[in-house]
Amino acid sequence: MSEHNHEHHVATAKQLWLIGGALFVLTILTVVVSSIPIPAPFDIITALVIAFGKAYLVAAFFMGLYWDVKFNSMLLIGALVFFILMVTVTLLDTMYRQDVVPSF
Amino acid sequence: MANHSASHPAHVQHHFVDSDQQFESAKMGMWVFLVNEILFFGGLFCAYIVFRAWYPDLFSQAALELNKVWGGVNTVVLIGSSLTVAMAIRSAQKNQIRGLRINLLITIALACVFMVIKYFEYEHKLHLGIAPGMFWNPTPEVLAELSHPKANIFFGIYYMMTGVHGLHVLVGIGLMIWLYIRAGKGHFNSEYYTPVEITGLYWHLVDLIWIFLFPLLYLIE
Repeated sequence: MSEHNHEHHVATAKQLWLIGGALFVLTILTVVVSSIPIPAPFDIITALVIAFGKAYLVAAFFMGLYWDVKFNSMLLIGALVFFILMVTVTLLDTMYRQDVVPSF
Repeated sequence: MANHSASHPAHVQHHFVDSDQQFESAKMGMWVFLVNEILFFGGLFCAYIVFRAWYPDLFSQAALELNKVWGGVNTVVLIGSSLTVAMAIRSAQKNQIRGLRINLLITIALACVFMVIKYFEYEHKLHLGIAPGMFWNPTPEVLAELSHPKANIFFGIYYMMTGVHGLHVLVGIGLMIWLYIRAGKGHFNSEYYTPVEITGLYWHLVDLIWIFLFPLLYLIE
């Protein structure tokens, strides 16, 4: 250990259990919220906000990005940016067709 | 750094300056792979978004055929396994090899529970003729609830997304068994646990994908 320039971050057991507990509570919450009738676009938005909250907890603390070099976070965010780009360009086609291709 | 040869233990390959650089490189390589994984699943999510935008009614109808309870149980199982993987890495960092092996075993067990539940879900659906694409052949009872002409497309997306995800879980089980055996041979310690760390990253990504699949497939009103 002594030769190391910087120690690897070791999360405490308490931290990990807290994150696990928070993920459990958010899972319950997303199930409960789904049974409440929320008008059209907002039900999906609510579900996605909770899902992204859970994803943040997993990425930041279980995957350790919170303590990690920023480059790895950049890779993850980069992947999301390109995913959004892929969806946007695809929707620009599929949402503005006169007729949906019949066999689809 | 001052004493270069002393900081060059057996596990460090000659082209790395030290253990830390090797560890950071391996981890960054894994993140690049995870970028590829996200965009791979991204294609499937893209198909989901396109078809949900085209046929919003289809998704709210068809989701009723999915069992919220088992989907929820599987979510909790995967979150639990993510926790045990994080605990396994912590054990390795603290040189507690027994703890590392126990946590890996619990993770393998939870992953198997996930797959068994998934098997019964598939089995139940296929029994009712709820199959993807051209194999769509539902019983009259199912057809009465789900008359949408594009119902087979929803289940094409469902089987593809959960199937590829399930395949990742199976690969994860294999990797975890490999880690368990290597840990038993004394290959890992607080100085060297890179395979545990990057397999952990992989496993958390599998959990992340499910975190989105669960509300998007099972919890549509």
